[in-house]
Amino acid sequence: MPSPPSSDNLLNIEATQLEKAVLLKVSGRMDAENATDFDQACEVWISKGAKHLIADLNDLRYVSSMGLRSFLVVAQKLKSSSGSLVFCGLSGLPRQVFEMTRLIDLFPVYETSQQAIEALR
Amino acid sequence: MSPEYRRLKLPARVESVRMFHEFVRSGAEPAGVDSGELDKLELVLEELLINISRYAYGSEAGSVQVSYAVEPGKILVEVTDWGSSFNPLEAAPPDLTLGLADRPVGGLGVLLVRQIVGSFGYRRVDGQNMVSFCFPAS
Repeated sequence: MPSPPSSDNLLNIEATQLEKAVLLKVSGRMDAENATDFDQACEVWISKGAKHLIADLNDLRYVSSMGLRSFLVVAQKLKSSSGSLVFCGLSGLPRQVFEMTRLIDLFPVYETSQQAIEALR
Repeated sequence: MSPEYRRLKLPARVESVRMFHEFVRSGAEPAGVDSGELDKLELVLEELLINISRYAYGSEAGSVQVSYAVEPGKILVEVTDWGSSFNPLEAAPPDLTLGLADRPVGGLGVLLVRQIVGSFGYRRVDGQNMVSFCFPAS
């Protein structure tokens, strides 16, 4: 039998409230089992009045279609209230997945969190 | 000589995906597949397994089996379930030209599988759905 899942499978979301947005540093792996953690974390900030969320994916190693679903759900919700979900730090597999599904054309994507923050000012 | 397959059969549930990942990783890593490629292989598996866990058995419980054989330069993978007939090759591709407000939030899994493995096979044999694909191993 294979060994049980290790802590490498964890998704970690660290939030920082900024003047005009909330920066969410998303790290680890985002899969079918934990993708809704992202929706829930965003929901908390949206219910507190956040309009713009910045997802920094620099330390995200893996994302499946269930993660993409979460991004779309949150982005559509924010868009309907004149807010936005923007991304930065896309690289590796997450960037490839964004390109394959053309989500990269759908969202504002910045190289760094600093650039994303400045664009929202 | 036919390749030697390793097989693992588990309940068709979301919670089984990570066990299948460990199972395939344990054979692919020693074969020299690098970490980035392994992540892609795991992504393909997750997408296929999630579809099966959601749709193959309706509200009933069922099983899914992953088999793989490591060959020089490639890994042969088969995913089998005993649920209702479903050929992922016939799944309608999502419209990627739609804007954010209109973009359906699902339907991207099979697209990712196609993009990563290029092509895959499907057979319906004796009440089984069998999806097979070949993954390059360096």
